[in-house]
Amino acid sequence: MGIRYGTPSAAVDAEPGLTVSPLSGRRGLRAAGEVGLATRVIWERALEEALRGDEDVYELELSAVTFIDVAGAGALADAVRRLGPDRRIVLHAPPSVLRRSLELLWPGLDGIEVPTS
Amino acid sequence: MTAVADPFVHPALFYRDEQEYLAGTVPFVREAVEAGEPVAVAVPGENLRLIQDGLGDAAAGVRFLDMRQAGRNPGRIIPGVLRAFADAQPSGRRVRIIGEPIWAGRTANEYPACVQHEALINAAFQGREVTILCPYDVKRLDEQVLTDALATHPTLITSGSPLPRASGAYDPEAVVAGYNRPLSHVPDVQGLVFDDVTLPGARYHATAEGMRLGLTGTRLDDLSLITAELTTNSVVHGGGVGELRVWAEDGYVVCEVRDSGRLEDPLAGRRPAPHEQRGGRGLLLVNLIADLVRVHTDHEGTTIRVFLAP
Repeated sequence: MGIRYGTPSAAVDAEPGLTVSPLSGRRGLRAAGEVGLATRVIWERALEEALRGDEDVYELELSAVTFIDVAGAGALADAVRRLGPDRRIVLHAPPSVLRRSLELLWPGLDGIEVPTS
Repeated sequence: MTAVADPFVHPALFYRDEQEYLAGTVPFVREAVEAGEPVAVAVPGENLRLIQDGLGDAAAGVRFLDMRQAGRNPGRIIPGVLRAFADAQPSGRRVRIIGEPIWAGRTANEYPACVQHEALINAAFQGREVTILCPYDVKRLDEQVLTDALATHPTLITSGSPLPRASGAYDPEAVVAGYNRPLSHVPDVQGLVFDDVTLPGARYHATAEGMRLGLTGTRLDDLSLITAELTTNSVVHGGGVGELRVWAEDGYVVCEVRDSGRLEDPLAGRRPAPHEQRGGRGLLLVNLIADLVRVHTDHEGTTIRVFLAP
Protein backbone atom coordinates (compact mmCIF):
# COMPACT_ATOMS: atom_id res chain seq x y z
CA MET A 1 0.00 0.00 0.00
CA GLY A 2 1.54 3.31 1.00
CA ILE A 3 2.06 5.05 -2.27
CA ARG A 4 -0.46 4.75 -5.04
CA TYR A 5 1.23 5.53 -8.29
CA GLY A 6 -0.66 7.74 -10.65
CA THR A 7 0.13 9.19 -14.00
CA PRO A 8 1.82 12.53 -13.52
CA SER A 9 -0.79 15.21 -14.16
CA ALA A 10 1.73 17.89 -15.02
CA ALA A 11 4.58 17.86 -17.46
CA VAL A 12 7.82 17.59 -15.56
CA ASP A 13 10.46 19.93 -16.86
CA ALA A 14 14.07 19.03 -17.24
CA GLU A 15 16.32 19.70 -14.26
CA PRO A 16 16.70 23.49 -14.18
CA GLY A 17 20.24 23.44 -12.79
CA LEU A 18 22.34 26.21 -11.34
CA THR A 19 25.14 28.09 -13.04
CA VAL A 20 27.64 30.30 -11.30
CA SER A 21 30.02 32.83 -12.87
CA PRO A 22 32.37 35.48 -11.46
CA LEU A 23 31.29 39.13 -11.43
CA SER A 24 33.44 41.43 -13.49
CA GLY A 25 35.24 44.17 -11.61
CA ARG A 26 33.91 43.17 -8.17
CA ARG A 27 34.53 40.32 -5.78
CA GLY A 28 31.50 38.13 -6.12
CA LEU A 29 29.43 35.75 -8.17
CA ARG A 30 26.41 35.78 -10.39
CA ALA A 31 24.15 32.74 -10.01
CA ALA A 32 21.32 31.64 -12.29
CA GLY A 33 18.80 28.84 -11.92
CA GLU A 34 17.54 27.12 -8.78
CA VAL A 35 19.04 25.95 -5.51
CA GLY A 36 17.58 22.61 -4.50
CA LEU A 37 18.68 19.08 -3.69
CA ALA A 38 20.32 18.56 -7.09
CA THR A 39 22.18 21.88 -7.16
CA ARG A 40 23.06 22.30 -3.48
CA VAL A 41 26.67 21.20 -4.01
CA ILE A 42 27.24 23.88 -6.68
CA TRP A 43 25.73 26.51 -4.37
CA GLU A 44 27.79 25.44 -1.38
CA ARG A 45 30.97 25.47 -3.44
CA ALA A 46 30.14 28.99 -4.63
CA LEU A 47 29.69 30.11 -1.02
CA GLU A 48 33.00 28.53 0.00
CA GLU A 49 34.56 30.83 -2.59
CA ALA A 50 33.16 33.83 -0.70
CA LEU A 51 34.93 32.67 2.47
CA ARG A 52 38.29 32.38 0.76
CA GLY A 53 39.07 36.07 0.22
CA ASP A 54 39.57 38.78 2.81
CA GLU A 55 37.50 41.64 1.31
CA ASP A 56 34.96 43.39 3.48
CA VAL A 57 32.22 42.80 0.94
CA TYR A 58 31.35 39.80 -1.20
CA GLU A 59 28.54 40.29 -3.69
CA LEU A 60 26.05 37.71 -4.88
CA GLU A 61 24.03 38.70 -7.91
CA LEU A 62 20.88 36.57 -7.62
CA SER A 63 18.39 38.21 -9.97
CA ALA A 64 18.36 35.11 -12.19
CA VAL A 65 17.89 32.69 -9.28
CA THR A 66 14.24 31.65 -9.16
CA PHE A 67 14.21 29.41 -6.08
CA ILE A 68 16.35 28.59 -3.04
CA ASP A 69 15.22 25.91 -0.61
CA VAL A 70 15.73 26.00 3.16
CA ALA A 71 18.98 24.02 3.00
CA GLY A 72 20.28 26.53 0.43
CA ALA A 73 19.31 29.41 2.73
CA GLY A 74 21.03 27.51 5.54
CA ALA A 75 24.25 27.17 3.55
CA LEU A 76 24.21 30.94 3.01
CA ALA A 77 23.51 31.63 6.70
CA ASP A 78 26.35 29.30 7.63
CA ALA A 79 28.75 31.02 5.24
CA VAL A 80 27.81 34.42 6.65
CA ARG A 81 28.37 33.21 10.18
CA ARG A 82 31.84 31.99 9.26
CA LEU A 83 32.81 35.25 7.50
CA GLY A 84 33.94 37.00 10.65
CA PRO A 85 32.69 40.20 12.25
CA ASP A 86 33.92 42.81 9.79
CA ARG A 87 32.94 41.13 6.55
CA ARG A 88 29.56 40.82 4.88
CA ILE A 89 27.76 39.31 1.92
CA VAL A 90 25.61 41.60 -0.19
CA LEU A 91 22.66 39.94 -1.95
CA HIS A 92 21.46 41.62 -5.12
CA ALA A 93 17.84 40.85 -6.05
CA PRO A 94 17.49 37.62 -4.07
CA PRO A 95 14.36 35.54 -4.73
CA SER A 96 11.57 36.33 -2.28
CA VAL A 97 11.63 32.76 -0.90
CA LEU A 98 15.19 33.34 0.32
CA ARG A 99 14.18 36.47 2.20
CA ARG A 100 11.26 34.56 3.72
CA SER A 101 13.46 31.67 4.92
CA LEU A 102 16.12 33.97 6.36
CA GLU A 103 13.57 36.11 8.19
CA LEU A 104 11.81 33.09 9.72
CA LEU A 105 14.74 30.83 10.52
CA TRP A 106 17.70 33.19 10.96
CA PRO A 107 16.17 36.40 12.31
CA GLY A 108 18.70 39.06 13.19
CA LEU A 109 21.52 37.37 11.29
CA ASP A 110 24.38 39.84 11.00
CA GLY A 111 26.56 40.02 7.93
CA ILE A 112 23.90 39.89 5.21
CA GLU A 113 22.88 43.01 3.38
CA VAL A 114 20.10 43.31 0.83
CA PRO A 115 20.23 46.71 -0.89
CA THR A 116 16.81 48.07 -1.81
CA SER A 117 16.97 49.11 -5.41
CA MET B 1 10.42 7.59 36.05
CA THR B 2 13.58 9.23 37.28
CA ALA B 3 14.35 9.58 40.94
CA VAL B 4 14.67 13.35 40.67
CA ALA B 5 11.45 15.24 40.06
CA ASP B 6 11.26 16.97 36.70
CA PRO B 7 11.49 20.76 37.21
CA PHE B 8 9.08 21.16 34.29
CA VAL B 9 5.55 21.83 35.54
CA HIS B 10 2.58 21.43 33.21
CA PRO B 11 -0.83 21.68 34.86
CA ALA B 12 -4.20 21.80 33.10
CA LEU B 13 -6.54 24.44 34.52
CA PHE B 14 -10.21 23.46 34.23
CA TYR B 15 -12.42 26.57 34.37
CA ARG B 16 -16.17 26.96 34.15
CA ASP B 17 -16.59 30.71 33.80
CA GLU B 18 -14.83 34.04 33.63
CA GLN B 19 -14.36 34.21 37.40
CA GLU B 20 -12.67 30.83 37.56
CA TYR B 21 -10.57 31.76 34.54
CA LEU B 22 -9.30 34.91 36.23
CA ALA B 23 -8.82 33.17 39.59
CA GLY B 24 -6.67 30.54 37.89
CA THR B 25 -4.60 32.81 35.66
CA VAL B 26 -4.17 36.29 37.16
CA PRO B 27 -2.48 35.22 40.43
CA PHE B 28 -0.20 32.91 38.39
CA VAL B 29 0.99 35.91 36.37
CA ARG B 30 1.15 38.25 39.37
CA GLU B 31 3.31 35.85 41.37
CA ALA B 32 5.71 35.58 38.46
CA VAL B 33 5.89 39.34 38.03
CA GLU B 34 6.46 39.83 41.77
CA ALA B 35 9.19 37.18 41.79
CA GLY B 36 10.87 38.80 38.80
CA GLU B 37 10.24 35.70 36.67
CA PRO B 38 9.69 36.11 32.95
CA VAL B 39 6.07 35.40 32.07
CA ALA B 40 4.10 35.11 28.82
CA VAL B 41 0.40 34.66 28.16
CA ALA B 42 -0.65 33.00 24.89
CA VAL B 43 -4.42 32.54 24.88
CA PRO B 44 -7.31 33.36 22.51
CA GLY B 45 -7.79 37.14 22.07
CA GLU B 46 -10.94 37.48 24.16
CA ASN B 47 -9.28 35.71 27.10
CA LEU B 48 -6.13 37.74 26.59
CA ARG B 49 -8.13 40.92 27.22
CA LEU B 50 -9.69 39.40 30.36
CA ILE B 51 -6.28 38.63 31.81
CA GLN B 52 -4.88 42.04 30.82
CA ASP B 53 -7.80 43.81 32.51
CA GLY B 54 -7.44 41.58 35.57
CA LEU B 55 -3.74 42.40 35.86
CA GLY B 56 -4.03 46.15 35.49
CA ASP B 57 -0.61 47.73 36.00
CA ALA B 58 0.98 44.33 36.60
CA ALA B 59 0.48 43.63 32.86
CA ALA B 60 3.53 45.74 32.03
CA GLY B 61 6.46 43.49 31.24
CA VAL B 62 4.27 40.47 30.49
CA ARG B 63 4.47 39.10 26.95
CA PHE B 64 0.98 38.70 25.46
CA LEU B 65 0.20 36.71 22.32
CA ASP B 66 -3.14 35.93 20.70
CA MET B 67 -3.05 32.14 20.43
CA ARG B 68 -5.63 32.21 17.62
CA GLN B 69 -2.91 33.86 15.53
CA ALA B 70 0.40 32.67 16.95
CA GLY B 71 -0.89 29.14 17.55
CA ARG B 72 -3.43 28.60 14.83
CA ASN B 73 -1.13 25.82 13.62
CA PRO B 74 -0.62 23.68 16.75
CA GLY B 75 2.71 22.48 15.32
CA ARG B 76 3.99 26.05 15.48
CA ILE B 77 3.34 26.55 19.21
CA ILE B 78 6.36 24.74 20.71
CA PRO B 79 9.02 26.28 18.46
CA GLY B 80 7.30 29.58 17.59
CA VAL B 81 5.63 30.50 20.89
CA LEU B 82 6.70 28.48 23.94
CA ARG B 83 10.37 27.82 23.28
CA ALA B 84 10.75 31.08 21.38
CA PHE B 85 9.85 32.81 24.67
CA ALA B 86 11.47 30.42 27.16
CA ASP B 87 14.78 30.12 25.29
CA ALA B 88 15.15 33.90 25.07
CA GLN B 89 15.13 34.32 28.88
CA PRO B 90 18.24 34.38 31.06
CA SER B 91 18.91 31.06 32.78
CA GLY B 92 18.53 30.61 36.52
CA ARG B 93 14.98 31.89 36.72
CA ARG B 94 11.80 29.88 36.28
CA VAL B 95 9.91 30.84 33.13
CA ARG B 96 6.12 30.87 33.34
CA ILE B 97 3.72 30.66 30.42
CA ILE B 98 -0.05 30.41 30.17
CA GLY B 99 -0.81 28.54 26.95
CA GLU B 100 -4.37 27.89 25.78
CA PRO B 101 -4.10 26.01 22.49
CA ILE B 102 -7.51 24.33 22.59
CA TRP B 103 -10.66 26.45 22.51
CA ALA B 104 -14.27 25.76 21.59
CA GLY B 105 -14.33 26.13 17.82
CA ARG B 106 -11.17 24.16 17.07
CA THR B 107 -12.29 21.96 14.17
CA ALA B 108 -12.30 18.17 14.05
CA ASN B 109 -9.51 18.50 11.51
CA GLU B 110 -7.39 20.63 13.87
CA TYR B 111 -8.05 18.74 17.08
CA PRO B 112 -5.72 15.73 16.62
CA ALA B 113 -2.84 18.15 15.95
CA CYS B 114 -3.85 20.19 19.03
CA VAL B 115 -3.90 17.25 21.42
CA GLN B 116 -0.66 15.81 20.02
CA HIS B 117 0.91 19.24 20.58
CA GLU B 118 -0.25 19.25 24.22
CA ALA B 119 1.26 15.79 24.69
CA LEU B 120 4.58 16.74 23.05
CA ILE B 121 5.08 19.79 25.28
CA ASN B 122 6.12 17.34 28.02
CA ALA B 123 8.98 15.89 25.99
CA ALA B 124 9.95 19.28 24.57
CA PHE B 125 10.38 20.84 28.04
CA GLN B 126 11.63 17.86 30.02
CA GLY B 127 14.23 19.02 32.56
CA ARG B 128 13.53 22.73 32.05
CA GLU B 129 12.78 25.25 34.85
CA VAL B 130 9.53 26.15 33.12
CA THR B 131 5.85 26.13 34.13
CA ILE B 132 3.20 26.01 31.39
CA LEU B 133 -0.37 26.39 32.61
CA CYS B 134 -3.03 25.29 30.10
CA PRO B 135 -6.59 26.54 30.62
CA TYR B 136 -9.52 24.37 29.45
CA ASP B 137 -13.07 25.70 29.16
CA VAL B 138 -14.96 22.77 30.70
CA LYS B 139 -18.38 24.19 29.81
CA ARG B 140 -17.75 24.56 26.10
CA LEU B 141 -15.26 21.80 25.30
CA ASP B 142 -16.27 18.19 24.59
CA GLU B 143 -15.93 15.52 27.24
CA GLN B 144 -13.29 13.78 25.11
CA VAL B 145 -11.15 16.92 25.07
CA LEU B 146 -11.20 17.04 28.87
CA THR B 147 -10.41 13.33 29.13
CA ASP B 148 -7.45 13.87 26.79
CA ALA B 149 -6.28 16.85 28.88
CA LEU B 150 -5.88 14.51 31.85
CA ALA B 151 -3.60 12.32 29.71
CA THR B 152 -1.51 15.21 28.36
CA HIS B 153 -1.03 16.98 31.72
CA PRO B 154 0.60 15.38 34.78
CA THR B 155 -1.38 17.66 37.10
CA LEU B 156 -4.79 19.32 37.22
CA ILE B 157 -6.10 22.51 38.85
CA THR B 158 -9.82 23.11 39.39
CA SER B 159 -11.68 25.78 41.34
CA GLY B 160 -12.50 23.19 44.01
CA SER B 161 -8.85 22.24 44.29
CA PRO B 162 -6.64 25.22 43.41
CA LEU B 163 -3.43 23.39 44.31
CA PRO B 164 -2.29 21.13 41.49
CA ARG B 165 -3.13 17.47 42.05
CA ALA B 166 -2.17 14.46 39.98
CA SER B 167 -4.37 14.22 36.88
CA GLY B 168 -4.46 10.46 37.41
CA ALA B 169 -4.38 9.56 33.73
CA TYR B 170 -1.09 11.06 32.53
CA ASP B 171 0.10 9.18 29.42
CA PRO B 172 1.32 11.57 26.70
CA GLU B 173 2.90 8.86 24.51
CA ALA B 174 -0.46 7.11 24.29
CA VAL B 175 -2.07 10.35 23.13
CA VAL B 176 0.56 10.92 20.43
CA ALA B 177 0.09 7.34 19.21
CA GLY B 178 -3.69 7.30 19.58
CA TYR B 179 -4.20 10.42 17.47
CA ASN B 180 -1.79 9.20 14.79
CA ARG B 181 -4.76 8.33 12.59
CA PRO B 182 -5.10 7.92 8.85
CA LEU B 183 -6.13 11.24 7.33
CA SER B 184 -9.71 11.00 6.24
CA HIS B 185 -11.24 12.33 3.06
CA VAL B 186 -8.75 11.63 0.31
CA PRO B 187 -9.98 13.98 -2.37
CA ASP B 188 -10.49 13.00 -5.97
CA VAL B 189 -7.31 14.71 -7.11
CA GLN B 190 -4.75 13.15 -9.38
CA GLY B 191 -1.45 12.65 -7.56
CA LEU B 192 1.90 13.53 -9.04
CA VAL B 193 4.63 10.97 -8.45
CA PHE B 194 8.10 12.44 -8.02
CA ASP B 195 11.66 11.28 -7.39
CA ASP B 196 15.06 12.99 -7.17
CA VAL B 197 15.08 13.91 -10.85
CA THR B 198 11.56 15.34 -10.92
CA LEU B 199 11.68 17.27 -7.60
CA PRO B 200 11.59 20.70 -9.28
CA GLY B 201 8.64 19.59 -11.42
CA ALA B 202 6.70 18.62 -8.29
CA ARG B 203 7.23 22.13 -6.94
CA TYR B 204 6.15 23.74 -10.23
CA HIS B 205 3.02 21.59 -10.15
CA ALA B 206 2.20 22.71 -6.59
CA THR B 207 2.73 26.41 -7.31
CA ALA B 208 0.69 26.23 -10.54
CA GLU B 209 -2.16 24.60 -8.61
CA GLY B 210 -1.77 27.06 -5.74
CA MET B 211 -2.01 29.96 -8.15
CA ARG B 212 -5.05 28.47 -9.82
CA LEU B 213 -6.65 28.05 -6.37
CA GLY B 214 -6.06 31.67 -5.41
CA LEU B 215 -2.71 31.90 -3.62
CA THR B 216 -0.58 34.96 -4.39
CA GLY B 217 2.57 36.68 -3.15
CA THR B 218 4.05 35.40 0.11
CA ARG B 219 1.50 32.60 0.42
CA LEU B 220 2.48 31.29 -3.00
CA ASP B 221 6.14 31.47 -1.95
CA ASP B 222 5.19 29.59 1.21
CA LEU B 223 3.52 26.83 -0.79
CA SER B 224 6.62 26.56 -2.94
CA LEU B 225 8.93 26.33 0.12
CA ILE B 226 6.63 23.81 1.85
CA THR B 227 6.43 21.62 -1.25
CA ALA B 228 10.20 21.72 -1.68
CA GLU B 229 10.80 20.66 1.94
CA LEU B 230 8.23 17.86 1.99
CA THR B 231 9.18 16.41 -1.38
CA THR B 232 12.92 16.67 -0.67
CA ASN B 233 12.36 14.85 2.63
CA SER B 234 10.61 12.05 0.72
CA VAL B 235 13.54 11.73 -1.67
CA VAL B 236 16.21 11.88 1.05
CA HIS B 237 14.51 10.13 3.99
CA GLY B 238 11.25 8.66 2.72
CA GLY B 239 12.24 5.94 0.28
CA GLY B 240 13.31 8.13 -2.63
CA VAL B 241 9.87 8.48 -4.20
CA GLY B 242 6.70 10.24 -3.15
CA GLU B 243 3.32 11.40 -4.33
CA LEU B 244 2.09 14.99 -4.23
CA ARG B 245 -1.48 16.26 -4.25
CA VAL B 246 -2.76 19.83 -4.07
CA TRP B 247 -6.42 20.77 -3.65
CA ALA B 248 -8.79 23.33 -2.12
CA GLU B 249 -10.72 22.48 1.05
CA ASP B 250 -12.76 24.66 3.44
CA GLY B 251 -11.08 27.84 2.30
CA TYR B 252 -7.55 26.40 2.46
CA VAL B 253 -5.14 25.27 -0.19
CA VAL B 254 -3.97 21.83 0.90
CA CYS B 255 -0.64 20.30 -0.06
CA GLU B 256 -0.17 16.62 0.74
CA VAL B 257 2.94 14.51 0.31
CA ARG B 258 3.00 10.76 0.84
CA ASP B 259 5.99 8.48 0.86
CA SER B 260 7.01 5.08 2.14
CA GLY B 261 9.22 6.33 4.99
CA ARG B 262 8.32 6.42 8.65
CA LEU B 263 8.62 9.58 10.74
CA GLU B 264 10.19 8.25 13.93
CA ASP B 265 10.68 11.52 15.81
CA PRO B 266 7.42 13.11 16.98
CA LEU B 267 9.30 16.33 17.83
CA ALA B 268 10.63 16.72 14.28
CA GLY B 269 9.90 20.27 13.14
CA ARG B 270 9.08 21.41 16.69
CA ARG B 271 12.57 22.20 17.97
CA PRO B 272 13.87 25.70 17.40
CA ALA B 273 17.19 25.54 15.56
CA PRO B 274 20.11 27.54 16.96
CA HIS B 275 21.91 29.68 14.37
CA GLU B 276 25.01 27.50 14.47
CA GLN B 277 23.09 24.30 13.64
CA ARG B 278 23.46 23.33 9.98
CA GLY B 279 20.47 21.77 8.27
CA GLY B 280 17.41 20.09 9.74
CA ARG B 281 15.10 23.08 9.42
CA GLY B 282 12.72 21.97 6.68
CA LEU B 283 9.83 20.75 8.85
CA LEU B 284 10.38 23.61 11.27
CA LEU B 285 9.80 26.08 8.45
CA VAL B 286 6.68 24.15 7.39
CA ASN B 287 5.31 24.40 10.95
CA LEU B 288 6.14 28.09 11.23
CA ILE B 289 4.32 29.14 8.05
CA ALA B 290 1.43 26.68 7.73
CA ASP B 291 -2.06 27.24 9.15
CA LEU B 292 -2.33 23.56 10.03
CA VAL B 293 -0.10 20.50 9.62
CA ARG B 294 -1.52 17.00 9.95
CA VAL B 295 0.69 13.92 9.94
CA HIS B 296 -0.04 10.22 9.75
CA THR B 297 2.88 7.81 9.91
CA ASP B 298 3.10 4.03 10.26
CA HIS B 299 4.98 1.05 8.83
CA GLU B 300 3.37 1.60 5.43
CA GLY B 301 4.51 5.19 5.07
CA THR B 302 4.02 8.81 6.01
CA THR B 303 1.44 11.33 4.88
CA ILE B 304 1.92 15.02 5.68
CA ARG B 305 -0.96 17.34 4.88
CA VAL B 306 -0.37 21.09 5.07
CA PHE B 307 -3.19 23.67 5.06
CA LEU B 308 -2.54 27.22 3.86
CA ALA B 309 -5.07 30.03 4.04
CA PRO B 310 -4.80 32.52 1.17
